[in-house]
Amino acid sequence: VTTGIYREHYASFTSQQSFMSSVTFPISPRKDLRGALAWLAFGALIVIMSWRMDRMESQGGTIYSSPGLWPGIVGFALTLLAGLLVLRSLRRAREAGWNAGETNDTVLAPARYFRLAAGMFFIYSLLLVGRGLPFWLGTALFVTAYVFVFRRAERLADGTAGSTRGDAILAIICGVATAVVVTLLFEQLFYVRLP
Amino acid sequence: MFDGLIAFGHSLASFLDPLSIGLILLSSLVGVIIGALPGLTATMGVALMTTLTIKMPSNQALLVLICTYVGAIYGGSRSAILLNIPGTPASAASCLDGHALARQGLAGRAMGIATSGSVLGTLIGMFFLALFTPVLGDLALKFGAYEFFWLALFGVVIAGTLTGGDPLKGWIAGLIGILCATVGQEAIYAYDRFTFGDRNLAGGFNLVPALVGAFGFAELLSAVREKAIPVKINPFDSVIPKLIDVAKYWKTILRSGLIGTFIGILPGVGEDVAAWSSYAAAKRASKEPEKFGKGSIDGLMAAETGDNACVPGAIIPVLTLAIPGSAPAAVLMAAMLIHGVRPGPMIMVENPSFVYDVVAMMLFATLGILLYGLTLTKFLIRVLMVPKPVIIPIIFVLCVVGSYAIASRLFDVWVMLGFGVLGYVLRRMDYPVAPLVLGMVLGDLMEKGLRRGLVLSDGSLEPFLTRPISAVIWITIVLVIALKIPTVRRLLKMRAAPAT
Repeated sequence: VTTGIYREHYASFTSQQSFMSSVTFPISPRKDLRGALAWLAFGALIVIMSWRMDRMESQGGTIYSSPGLWPGIVGFALTLLAGLLVLRSLRRAREAGWNAGETNDTVLAPARYFRLAAGMFFIYSLLLVGRGLPFWLGTALFVTAYVFVFRRAERLADGTAGSTRGDAILAIICGVATAVVVTLLFEQLFYVRLP
Repeated sequence: MFDGLIAFGHSLASFLDPLSIGLILLSSLVGVIIGALPGLTATMGVALMTTLTIKMPSNQALLVLICTYVGAIYGGSRSAILLNIPGTPASAASCLDGHALARQGLAGRAMGIATSGSVLGTLIGMFFLALFTPVLGDLALKFGAYEFFWLALFGVVIAGTLTGGDPLKGWIAGLIGILCATVGQEAIYAYDRFTFGDRNLAGGFNLVPALVGAFGFAELLSAVREKAIPVKINPFDSVIPKLIDVAKYWKTILRSGLIGTFIGILPGVGEDVAAWSSYAAAKRASKEPEKFGKGSIDGLMAAETGDNACVPGAIIPVLTLAIPGSAPAAVLMAAMLIHGVRPGPMIMVENPSFVYDVVAMMLFATLGILLYGLTLTKFLIRVLMVPKPVIIPIIFVLCVVGSYAIASRLFDVWVMLGFGVLGYVLRRMDYPVAPLVLGMVLGDLMEKGLRRGLVLSDGSLEPFLTRPISAVIWITIVLVIALKIPTVRRLLKMRAAPAT
């Protein structure tokens, strides 16, 4: 991260562009179009579902009090704005090309690390917690595994790899300490139930 | 006037017991650490602390949350100055001059300026919180369904306009948030909307797990995706603030305090916009604008005063209108509701002492950041050195436990995960998340205002458009949107061109 990013942020903050402006855009028109089409479809779906909702006429309801009125209006507004985004993406693509404008101002970690980390988050929260395994055990397993895998990967990438045993000990200490402290803090001190 | 001062005195005295003082010290410290750690924001900190304090008495819980909020906004300046990485988005403006000063060997002085700016900014905002809240509360009593509809819409529109670089995407994010608020039983007929027969969805999405997801889990995913930057700390001098810096830049402090408070009052805009606006105003007013970005004390003072003044400013509309001025204030409002405090126009009628309690909490939080600003530098550097792979799983455990703790149901953990993924995808696609949150918070108010108004007026839109306060708000909304339409901007430029 460099100061240059903040200078750009400052410049974009003070430039006050209009919403159809095509001067600068950090996402390519192709990606913007994909997102816009998804919102367009979602907005249209909401309008249809809202239209099909019960109007509650049997209970003396009118169109103004009908449950579908508000989501229908919001869905319509979303469709409208998504339509504008579609038009803007097409215009930007015509002016600068489908992949123009991509600025990668952050250095990304390898995608496999991201997938692995996301997988660990989901395994912990969907399978290890609230499924019969004691909370402290699930937490200790998750934190230990995460710290070991990613600390090791970080050290290998930096070329500062220490011993595997040292990293494993650090991971176990982090895992056990987190499990004990969180359990004691929430259950004993703040009387909050744990999963 | 004197009634207010007496009430404030009572509020101050009510927090002078050992437990409250201990909570102030602890929660300010937690706030400063959360703020200093890149990737952890004030919103996430307040959301996590909300879940931790759920069983506390309301005043102590809110004291903890306000100290965390103020501490986190201040703490962000530490990593901005020392690492050139803003601890929270609110501190991004501080990177420009704060880190430049650090590179010149003046990191200590920069931290002193950040401390004095933050403390004075919070005090200025606090003054206006005490002054404006009763006045605005009286005005808010005149608001009916029509006015609340427009005001809530104004909040989402202005948040969408100002919080990202792209208003169109900001407004789309706001609409997604409003749609999320429509899930569950609606208020008039208890009709299930978008629940697909799921009993868990009948109550709608609980706000705190959704916020923990959108700000906490999404931030963790972003932190995992981005490569860790090696931490390199420049040597630093004394962190004690210099009186001469305060005396020399008093105009900047006052101006930035006013700008920060005003931006705080604007619904959903928040501390980062306050910091950038104060910075831009200071640069325009400065006799040495060329020094900005190269280690200008004026610039750093403006950014730090502005973002911290925004905190009390953002609480003013929470208390008087039940409309949050920033994303962390939205969580604070949710926490108030959880603890049985009903913010909104009736607060000065039903619970006037609460407003002064909040002012007193703000004062104690200010003392907390002053204390840690003077003493905590070396400890914070050690915290900044903790490797990312150690911090991330611990924060994720807190996200899971925090989401579960609100209602003791696993469904809230799934909500947290869902909103985390949504928040991450939106960020990657360059959509701001703050309007989404504001849409979720204000969606219900907007719907009730519209449907009640339409039922009262028998379907006529006239009262929405002709009542004086309504008219002022909707005309402002139209102007905000119109000024972003290219044709209107071109016409304005063409009209301005011959004049120049």
